[in-house]
Amino acid sequence: MDKKADSQADQAVLRYVETTRPVQQLISQTLTQVGGYALLLMISRSRAALAEGALASAREAAMRASEEVRALVAPDIATHHHHHLRGAAETLLQACVAALAYSRIDASEQGDALVRTLRASSDHLRTTAHLLPGFELVDFGQACCATHAPKRLPQDVT
Amino acid sequence: MADYSIWVLEYAAVEKFPFSVMMYGPQHQGTRKLPYAYVLLKGKGETILIDTGYDHVAYGEQLATAYGVSNYHGPREVLASCGVRPEDVTSVFITHAHFDHMGAIHLFPKAKFYVQKSELDKWVWALTLSPEYRFLTGGGDPADIVRAVEAAKEGRMICIDGDQEDVLPGIDVHLAADTHTYGSMYVTVRNDGAKDGEDKWIFAGDLIYTYDNLTGLDPEAPQIVPIGLAVGSQHNLIFASAQMLKSVGGEVRRVIPVHEDRLRTTFPSRLTDRGLQVVEIALARGEESRVG
Repeated sequence: MDKKADSQADQAVLRYVETTRPVQQLISQTLTQVGGYALLLMISRSRAALAEGALASAREAAMRASEEVRALVAPDIATHHHHHLRGAAETLLQACVAALAYSRIDASEQGDALVRTLRASSDHLRTTAHLLPGFELVDFGQACCATHAPKRLPQDVT
Repeated sequence: MADYSIWVLEYAAVEKFPFSVMMYGPQHQGTRKLPYAYVLLKGKGETILIDTGYDHVAYGEQLATAYGVSNYHGPREVLASCGVRPEDVTSVFITHAHFDHMGAIHLFPKAKFYVQKSELDKWVWALTLSPEYRFLTGGGDPADIVRAVEAAKEGRMICIDGDQEDVLPGIDVHLAADTHTYGSMYVTVRNDGAKDGEDKWIFAGDLIYTYDNLTGLDPEAPQIVPIGLAVGSQHNLIFASAQMLKSVGGEVRRVIPVHEDRLRTTFPSRLTDRGLQVVEIALARGEESRVG
C-alpha cells in the first residue's frame, strides 16, 4: 500500500475512533447503571424499587446506543472492533429487558438471564477497549490512588 | 495469645506519590512511596481479607503506563507468601468501592464479601448521574459492578447497615459515612476476643493514608490532618480518625493504613524475592512467622 493509501486508511480509523468513542462511553455508562440496579435488586428488592426510574432511562439509553452503533461506518481495520461494540450494545439492551423481568419475578431463571447478559455486554465492551486505542473504560484520573498523574493515555506516552 | 494472625501484603506500588494527596495541605512537598496492599487474617477457621486489590489483566497496563503503578503481582503470588491460595479465602471486608480495594472480587471464588449498604446505594446513585459528576464515582469500572452482581446472585455479597459487632468472631465493622467515600468502613479486630481488650487493631481502609494523618507533621503540636481526597467531608474524616484513635487508646501504630510505607519499619517485615513487603502485625497460636 502506498503512502497516500496508508494516510487515507489512518484517517478513516481516526474518524471511526472519534465518532465511536461517545457511543462506547454511552454503553459503558448505561451498563454501569443497569449493573448497579441489578446489584440493588439482588441484595434488596425494596431498595431497587427506588431506582426503577433509572432503569427506564437506562433502557432508553441502551436503545439509542444500539441504533447509533448500527449507524456507524467501520473501516476494514475496525470491523472486529465494531462487531464487539455491536455485541455490547445488543446484550446491554437484553440486560435491560432481563432487569425489568427480574424486578417483577424473583426467579432464578430471570436472575441468571440478567447476570448472563450483563457479563456478555461487559466482556464485549472490554474487548473494544483492547482492540483500538482511545477506548479505555476506566477514567483513573478520578481514582484516589492514581489521581496524581496528569491525564495521559498510553498512546500519548513516548 | 492472638486469635488471628495478621499480615499486610503489598501487591503493587506507586514509587513517587504526591504527599499532598496523602495528607491535605502540604502542597509541593515532594513524594512518598504509596504501596498498594491488602490485609490477610487467619484464625478461628477463617481466612479473611480486608479488600481485594485490583485485576491487572483488566487495566494493569493503563495504570502502569499512565500512572506509574509498578510491580503488580496477583493474589495467587502475593498470598503464597503466607501459604494461602485465593480459593482458601472465606470472607472479604470491602472497605470501599474503589478499583484498588474491590477490583478483584472475581479472583476469590469462594469468599463472601461484606460491604456497607450506603456505599453501594450511593455509588449506584452516583453512577446514574451524567459524566460531569464522575469525580463522585472515583474511577469506577463497569466490570467491577458486573462481578459484584455475580457475587450477589450467588449469595456472596452481604450488605451491612452501619456498625456491627462480631460480623465474624472478634471482628467488628464501623461505618464512616460521607468521608473518603459515601459508605467507607473500617474494621476492628479484637485479637484477644475481649470487648475492650488491649490487643485491638483497626484497619482503616483509605480513611487515612499515613500515620501522619493521625499525628500531623509537627511533633510539638499533634493534630489530625485528613487525607487530600474526599467525596464526603474533611469534618467527617477528622472525626472518624479521632474515633479510630480513641478506640485503641490513642496508640497510633494500632490504626493501620495499608498505603503507609512505614508499616515495614513499625512491625516485623520482609521483602519477598518479588520485591513486595510482607508486614506481620500478629501471630496466632501455632502459626509460623512469615517474616522470620
